[in-house]
This record gives sequence, C-alpha cells and structure tokens, in this order.
Amino acid sequence: MSGAIIRVRGLVKRYGGRTALNGIDLDVQRGEFLGLLGPNGAGKTTLLSIITGVRKATAGTVHVQEHDIVAEPDHVHAMIGLVPQEIALYETLTARENLRYFGSMHGLDKSTITERSDALLERAGLKDRADERIGGWSGGMQRRLNLIAALLHRPDVLFLDEPTVGIDVQSRAATWDLLKEIHAGGTTVVYTSHHMEEAERLCTRVVIVDHGQVVGNIEAPGAEGAARLEETFLRITGKALRDN
Amino acid sequence: MVKRILAHIRKEFLLLVRDRGGLALLYLMPVALVTIMAVVQDAPFRDFSDNRIQVLFKDLDGSGVGARVREGLMSAGPFSVLDVSADSAMDAAALRDAVRRGEHQVAVIVPQRASEVLKAASAKAIAKVFTQADSSVAPTPSIDTAVVRVIIDPTVKQAFRGLVNSHLAKVLAEITSDRLLNDMGAQIAALTGTEAPQLKLEEPILRLHQELAGAELSGERVAENSTQHNVPAWTIFAMFFIVVLLAGNMVKERSSGIMTRLLTMPGGTGERVAGRMLTYLLVCISQAVLLVLVGMFILPMIGLAPLDLSSASLLGLLLVTICVGAAATAFGVLVGALSSTQQRSAVFGSTAVVILSAIGGIWVPLYIMPEGMKAIGRLSPLNWSMEAFNSVLLRHGSFGELMPYVLPLIAFAGVCLIVAILAETAISRR
Repeated sequence: MSGAIIRVRGLVKRYGGRTALNGIDLDVQRGEFLGLLGPNGAGKTTLLSIITGVRKATAGTVHVQEHDIVAEPDHVHAMIGLVPQEIALYETLTARENLRYFGSMHGLDKSTITERSDALLERAGLKDRADERIGGWSGGMQRRLNLIAALLHRPDVLFLDEPTVGIDVQSRAATWDLLKEIHAGGTTVVYTSHHMEEAERLCTRVVIVDHGQVVGNIEAPGAEGAARLEETFLRITGKALRDN
Repeated sequence: MVKRILAHIRKEFLLLVRDRGGLALLYLMPVALVTIMAVVQDAPFRDFSDNRIQVLFKDLDGSGVGARVREGLMSAGPFSVLDVSADSAMDAAALRDAVRRGEHQVAVIVPQRASEVLKAASAKAIAKVFTQADSSVAPTPSIDTAVVRVIIDPTVKQAFRGLVNSHLAKVLAEITSDRLLNDMGAQIAALTGTEAPQLKLEEPILRLHQELAGAELSGERVAENSTQHNVPAWTIFAMFFIVVLLAGNMVKERSSGIMTRLLTMPGGTGERVAGRMLTYLLVCISQAVLLVLVGMFILPMIGLAPLDLSSASLLGLLLVTICVGAAATAFGVLVGALSSTQQRSAVFGSTAVVILSAIGGIWVPLYIMPEGMKAIGRLSPLNWSMEAFNSVLLRHGSFGELMPYVLPLIAFAGVCLIVAILAETAISRR
C-alpha cells in the first residue's frame, strides 16, 4: 500500500467507441492540493466522476482510504465531498434549506447542520441572505453556496470541478481564500481547472491529463509561476485547438 | 435511512409549495375540470330522468282522444306540452318546419275525427264478438283508422326517438283498451238488462319494476348522475397528471447537477424514489379529498347533484385512493427516469395520460366505444382506477370485489418502480 488517500489504477472509461480515459494511474497523498489540468475533452471531469462514484469505470479500480468505490460506496461517500461544475442547488429553496437537505443526506442532525451552516455561511459572506431563495442570487453567491454545501459533513477529501467558472474577480478571490483555509485545516483537495494562475496559486501539485491519460506531473507549481506553468502545459499538450 | 427519506419528503414538499404553477396544475385544474365537465355532462346524464322535453301538441280531433293524448303526455314521462291547437298558423307543415329547424325536438298531431274513428272501431270489434255469439246480428261495415303523427328532430339520438314512440304507443293503447272495455260493458248491460259492469282495471295486474344493481359509470351501464361520474373520473385524471410535475422535477435534478451531488452522498436511488413516492402519494390523497369536498359541497351550489358517499365504504375509498395514487406516482417516476429533458417529460407524460384516460373511460364512457377499443381500454390503468372507484361508490363492492381492479394497479405501480429504479441507476451512472 502506498499510503495515498486516493489510489487509482488502470482506469479505463469508454463511451461506445470513444475512449475517454485510457489506463490512468494516479495517487493522491493526504493533505495534497492537487490540480487536474487539461484541455477541453481531456477526460478531467470523467476522471473526477469515476473517483467520486458518480460514474462507473469500464476497467480499473479506485480506492479512497483503502475503500473500493464500487464495493463500498457509502464508506467512500461519507469521506468525500463533491462540488460539481453546475450550480447543484435547488433554486426555489433558501440557502439554509439547501444546506439542511444536503446535510441530512449525510445523516447530520438538525442542530449540527444549523451550527455548521451558520459558520460556513458566515465564512462565505452569505449569512445575511441565508433565508432568501437562491434563485435570485448572483452567480458568484450561488457558486460559494455550491462549495459550502459540500463541506457540511467535513469531508477528508474535497473534489471540485471548475469551481470558479463564470464568476467575478471578487467571488473568485473569496473562493480561493476559502479553499486555502479548507486545505490548511487538513482537507485533501482535488480540483479541475483551466486557469494556470489558479493552479499556480493554490496547488501543491499539478497533474496534466490529455487524451484520457496522465501526460504530466508538476510538483510545487507555485515555484514555476503561472507563465511558466502555462508554457509547460502547452509544451505537453500542444497548441492544436480542442473544439470537441 | 428513515431520516434521509424524511429529508427527501421535506425537500419535495418545499419544492411543490414554492411552485405556484405546479400547485395550480395539481389542485386548480382538477377542480375546474370537475366543475366544468359535471355541468357540461349534466344534461346528457339527465336525458331520461328529470329533464323536461317540450312537445308541440296539435289536437285536430277536439274530442276525447285528443284530450286523453294530451293528458297522457303531461301526466307521465319526461314531457311538457306546448298546446298549439288553437293557433291556426301552426298547421302540420309549420310544425314539421319548427322541428326541422331544431326549435323543438318533438311535435305530436292528433288527427281529425280520431275519437269518431276509435268509437266506430270499438263498436265494430264489440259487434264482431257478439255477432259470433248471436248469428241474428248483421255484420258491421269496414271503417277508417286514425294515425297520430309524431315528428322528431332528425338530430336527436335513436334512444330518444324510441322513448317518445314507446310512451305515445302506451298512451294510445290505454285509450283504445279503455274504450273497448267501456263499450263491452255497455253491450253486456244492453243484452242482460243490468247496470253496465265496471271493466276498467284500477291497477294493472302485470306490473314492471326496475332496479339498478349498482350502476357502472364507465362500463356497460350508465351512471346515476353527472357528479357521481365526474368526481372520481377527474380525480383519477388529476392524480395521473402529477406526472408532468414529478417527472419534470426529476429531470431538472439530473440536468442541474444536483443528481451528481446526490450520487456522491450516502443513500441510494431507492431512498430518493421512496421520498418522491410518499410525497406525491400524499399529494394524490389531498387531491382526492379536495375533489370529494367539491363534489359534496360546491357542485350542489351550482345546481348539480351532490356526491353521495352515504353508502360507500370509507375504508374502501381510502384503499382505492392509495392504490390509484401509488400507480399514478409510480408512472410519474418512470416517465421522469426515462426522459432526457423536461420538455420531453412534460409532452410525453401529459400526452400519455390524456390517451390513457380517453381509452380508459374517463372522458367518454367505455360502453359507447367499439368492441376493439373497449378491449384496449380495459388495459388502461386509468380504467382499472375508474372501475375501482365505481366499485366503492356505486356498486358498494366488498374488499374482495375491489381486488380485480386494485391488484392490477399495485402490480402496475411495482413494475413502473422497478423499471424506474433500474433506468435511473443506469442513466445516472453510465
């Protein structure tokens, strides 16, 4: 056993005749802030979906803290949190109602949910509007709530799929601060992004995925700087447009 | 697990309460449908009961027969008489034209000399009897017959024509038999020199008694009234129409990424489906309660018969409501699991319910359909639902008699749920 909190071996995913993942091996160490970078259609979201148990692999295995995602999904799900790319919240519910629902799914009691919701809403700058229906909120506010909905049960590993897409600079900065704080608290973070600057600022390691394979591994990307990171990324993945 | 199911129920309930359009679809639409359809169908249901049919009446006889026909029409049957005997402009051609134009559905013309003809025919018949008994009496000459004309609107139903003809035939037969018996008594009195015996029967010896063995609304027989048909019919329709909302919410969960989040949380598809089922089952029961209350208290306020639950088993009614609700909810879950977009679920769900209700006897009674359609209609879960409600409300059926309708509904719900869970699991995780 490698001691990794996440261990992926020989992961293959095919959709009909198309291969999305083609034999991925990946270890994520406890306490890492891992960035999964790659062009459009590289297989980042598919990889995240399979590690979190949303989709089933065609072949290969995924273990989270030594629990097989296929054989013991409830064990794994109790330890992880996922922030999907979409705003995965009910628009006609208030922020508190959304958090109460998702907290209940993890078996938390009402008082625990209330206590943790208050703290997280405060931290995300949303407490004043916590009793409003979120349909009328800005994209940035919804994104922040989307994030804290995955933190209520205090997961050991947090997965984020492009959490800062389409939000303004202020919301993005607030999200970065929140993620740094979560990571500093001991949570392992795995996230996908297109932004080199984001990866350079946040990640302790970057893995580059392309054509369904791991094609690059960069330790301490902050030391390289965003420009160097982008240069490395283009050198590995090439400059050809990825329009699919 | 129970906590999670309760959380699902609470969430579904909040989503429903916040959806004004959905609430209108669930509660206002069926109330409007029940009310409108009960009013629209009230007249057809009353066709042969308490609706008065106005008859244009022209008495050219001016004597006993004309008066007796008029009296016969007024005293029994669903007729009211508009006597135009004194109106010289209303001759036979004018009456025919009035009926042809649809201003009236029936006109009756008693011909001139009808009483004379009846008198002569009766005398001839009596004389014939006594001629055979006494050969010294001379044979009677032949006489005319009198024809009472009935003019009927060509657009009215065959059954209505039969009703008018049979009623008038009965009146004419009574007039003829009374005359014959009267003349026979007089003849006997003349021959025996005693007072004329009373031959007329005060009460008929052979009588007819009709009773309903529990009317069937959508089956082979006709319901008692419009309310008794429409309240259960549109309750079933409303219950199944929740497919639009239920399936739509399911598809929305998948397309918005909420399902992705839920798939990374403890608890499986079964718990989510159970939460939805229980929430919408409660919605179905509340719809049934609302529509029953409308049938009992609102419809009578607009002149319709109240829904009669006096002899129905409330336990049976609850059982049927739960089974119909379970079938409707499971159908909604299935449509939601199989649909890829909200638009598709709404179009397919609503179209399917309209078709299943049309062939199942909700809109048009099954008994007027051709045999082939009847056979197809009996395969519709909405028909099983209708028959189950009729069993409780009209046939006062026992629990055993409910089973042929309730068991298929439970089986239908089970099959829908199994397919839905398999489909949702496969679609979500593929």
